[in-house]
Amino acid sequence: MSANPAGHSEGNPLANINQIIHAPARLMILIHLYVVESLDYVFLKNQTGLSWGNLATHLGKLEQAGLIEIIKGYQGKKPQSLIKLTSQGRKAFQDYKRSLQQILDDIPDDL
Amino acid sequence: MRAKISLKEIERNMYRQSIQDGIIDIQIGSILLIFAVAPHLSEYLGDFWSSLIFLPFWGLIYLALRTVRKKYLQPRIGQIQYRSSRKKRLKSLTLSIFIFNLLALGAGFLFLVKFPNFPESMPMVVLSILLMTGFSLAGYLLELPRFYAYGSLYALAPLIGEYLYITYTTPHHGLPITFGIASGLLILIGLVIMIRIITGYPLPDQEYLA
Repeated sequence: MSANPAGHSEGNPLANINQIIHAPARLMILIHLYVVESLDYVFLKNQTGLSWGNLATHLGKLEQAGLIEIIKGYQGKKPQSLIKLTSQGRKAFQDYKRSLQQILDDIPDDL
Repeated sequence: MRAKISLKEIERNMYRQSIQDGIIDIQIGSILLIFAVAPHLSEYLGDFWSSLIFLPFWGLIYLALRTVRKKYLQPRIGQIQYRSSRKKRLKSLTLSIFIFNLLALGAGFLFLVKFPNFPESMPMVVLSILLMTGFSLAGYLLELPRFYAYGSLYALAPLIGEYLYITYTTPHHGLPITFGIASGLLILIGLVIMIRIITGYPLPDQEYLA
């Protein structure tokens, strides 16, 4: 039985969990993006309570993984970037939700 | 199932926070202020002009609030684009209010034709019912529970006004007092919400927004 970089063995269902989404801050970002069309940095920051630095780091990772799209633009003379979930990101989030639900359902109440 | 419900709740909270900037409260308060001021003005200007003079007033309020939203509120709250289900719900509000106004006008006209000798206090009861229904409809479609409270407040205004008129012969059926208080309260609530946003949310540095 081989182990993946996260240290889980291949037979372990937790190994199939998307590690990019599994981080609490990124999961929180994706949940907020999942229920809307798009939003900007300020709205997302207010919702998640993350610092600017943290938000930028996590958004960068999500963008790199192709889960979100950052559309840079302007409103008047001020820069305004809109963040939206890609179709890949939407599917990844749904898969993540299903996998996690499955794992939790499979854990017996009593040993 | 639980996850589905909580996602719905998150979406609703985000939607509410995107529109809770006090603008809508001030706008409604300003519009319904007509019931408080127009009866006084009608003594000098007549019924038609005392109502018409409100158009430029509402226009000014609209422009001022739009500027405040653009310059002070939106940079602090941020922007959001809703999903299609939310957009549909918001569009249905405009249509519903339009149909509601048409029905109210039609019902009022029929009432006048069918019952020309209605009791003097009847228009106040009808106005009260219309205000409660209108606010409830808006509260339901906008998913803003405080609109039910606003509806109750404005529904009471003509009834209390009529009571003041019957008991103390307060001029203009007591409307300037009751609608003045209700509208003043809404404008005050709107201003408090605005000030809380402006003081509570600092403006973000431009470098983070690029």
